Amino acid sequence: MMDLQHGSLFLKTPTIVADTGYAVTAGSRIVIVTAGVRQQEGESRLNLVQRNVNIFKHIIPQIVKHSPNCILVVVSNPVDIMTYVTWKLSGLPKHRVIGSGCNLDSARFRYLMAEKLSVHPTSFHGWILGEHGDSSVPVWSGANVAGVNLQTLNPDIGTDQDKEGWKETHKMVVDSAYEVIKLKGYTNWAIGMSVADLTESLTKNLSRIHPVSTMVKGMYGINEDVYLSLPCVLNNSGVSSVINMTLNAEEVAKLKKSADTLWGIQKDLKDL
Amino acid sequence: MATVKEQLIEHVMKDEVSIPCGKVTVVGVGAVGMACAISILTKELTDELALVDVIEDKLKGEMMDLQHGGLFLRTPKIVADKDYSCTANSKVVVVTAGARQQEGESRLNLVQRNVNIFKFIIPNIVKYSPNCIILVVSNPVDVLTYVAWKLSGFPRNRVIGSGCNLDSARFRYLMGEKLNLHPSSCHGWVIGEHGDSSVPVWSGVNVAGVSLKNLNPGMGTDEDKENWKEVHKQVVESAYEVIKLKGYTSWAIGMSVADLVESIMKNLRKVHPVSTMVQGMHGVKDEVFLSIPCVLSSSGLSDVVKMTLKSDEEEQLRKSADTLWGIQKELKL
Repeated sequence: MMDLQHGSLFLKTPTIVADTGYAVTAGSRIVIVTAGVRQQEGESRLNLVQRNVNIFKHIIPQIVKHSPNCILVVVSNPVDIMTYVTWKLSGLPKHRVIGSGCNLDSARFRYLMAEKLSVHPTSFHGWILGEHGDSSVPVWSGANVAGVNLQTLNPDIGTDQDKEGWKETHKMVVDSAYEVIKLKGYTNWAIGMSVADLTESLTKNLSRIHPVSTMVKGMYGINEDVYLSLPCVLNNSGVSSVINMTLNAEEVAKLKKSADTLWGIQKDLKDL
Repeated sequence: MATVKEQLIEHVMKDEVSIPCGKVTVVGVGAVGMACAISILTKELTDELALVDVIEDKLKGEMMDLQHGGLFLRTPKIVADKDYSCTANSKVVVVTAGARQQEGESRLNLVQRNVNIFKFIIPNIVKYSPNCIILVVSNPVDVLTYVAWKLSGFPRNRVIGSGCNLDSARFRYLMGEKLNLHPSSCHGWVIGEHGDSSVPVWSGVNVAGVSLKNLNPGMGTDEDKENWKEVHKQVVESAYEVIKLKGYTSWAIGMSVADLVESIMKNLRKVHPVSTMVQGMHGVKDEVFLSIPCVLSSSGLSDVVKMTLKSDEEEQLRKSADTLWGIQKELKL
């Protein structure tokens, strides 16, 4: 807190407070939850579940007590499950509980694809949806630059038959976190920037669309209470709408499979 | 069959080697270096950022983590390597490398260890960016700015120490808290050594041009009932306190460095308290670097402001100069 306060001259945030007691958080519009244990080298996000559920049982009720009207943004991994857990523990309506989800995966995808095409990431459009993790789904059918659909130029894109090996880019996205963790011990900069990007849409009421983790029951044949990333319109109420993305049969099947994996873990969680 | 890229995009210009126009290099990817990097990136000060360090894994990991944020940034090229060739053609090189203070350790203790590290770094910087401006952050910053100046052979306008830019920012923050105002509306200058013997210029402390010392003549003395002297004491102790609490400081120094880089990159001619060669000023006779208010522009440090100091303030500056020279004359460069 002190280190940030000492930079106040260079900032436009006049009040920076910190405490172990949650009273200091009272009246927050947005609460970002990053607490919990993180992946060790080689460990998958799903391994962290039970440890983090126990931590959230302590955190979430206190947040809601002091900021009953807030929007909760969950970052802790495995984010889709932890967003579900947060929703259950908070009692907040589902549009006010959002997981950072695939906002970062999509950002990494856009960065890597743009590098290959020698354009800026903001000029390459591509969405990664579903689970933030090993089974995320790259929607190749939507990948485009200036509206020119890449799959139309190369129908094999994203398949094993593709001579250009574009599928590798998605694999790099999935491996990204593991690789950075192996090199520097953790990741922080990119996730931090992606969370700030979401916060901007929420606080400035932008109604921009982001791939974030939201409650998807009833969509794409999913019948359980699971959180997965879909393109969501974010404004100052939280998730105001979800875009009905056109997915092919294979992409829908992958989403359903993620949903099943996540529900398999969630149904065993105690006392939510 | 043509690749997706070939089908999609037609390259229409003759290939030129694109020289970056405002490249910034950060040497050292520890907490301070990375805080400088993220501040420079989020303030959109450069079109190319280079990182250098000796620990290759950490360096690559940090570079990748920043690159993955590319969508949210306006700095399209981020590179990193152990080899200084990746720093070529930098406009500004920020040097944060070196040992840092342990809990309770003073900045002056770090000298010899950091001089040895600089003997490797500085010539490498100069080799690849002979026209750059070197901004030294590593501590003890005043001594190491002198060292960088000697080792680089650069003119004095192109070797600057981050110096008291942070001390003054901390002072203005604390002053703002006392007066319930934003720091940018509180004016006060801390000059001299970045460290235990920095000098708060009480005569200049003001809000909206109203001199606080005129309102409270005892300001800064032991007799002052409001104990403003404590504000400066807290500035001196700030780093030690944050180090004791979180192990190091990073955010505030990172932001203050980005503030300096901004003035240079945008040719602002803003006045900042940074460390420069003060021989011949305020009675200082030796080649020492101390912080005084300096004009920063795209040429670096082009002018200095001649402050009217009280005799005891000048005495303090001379005393700092003597302490620093005492250390510097023993250095083998």
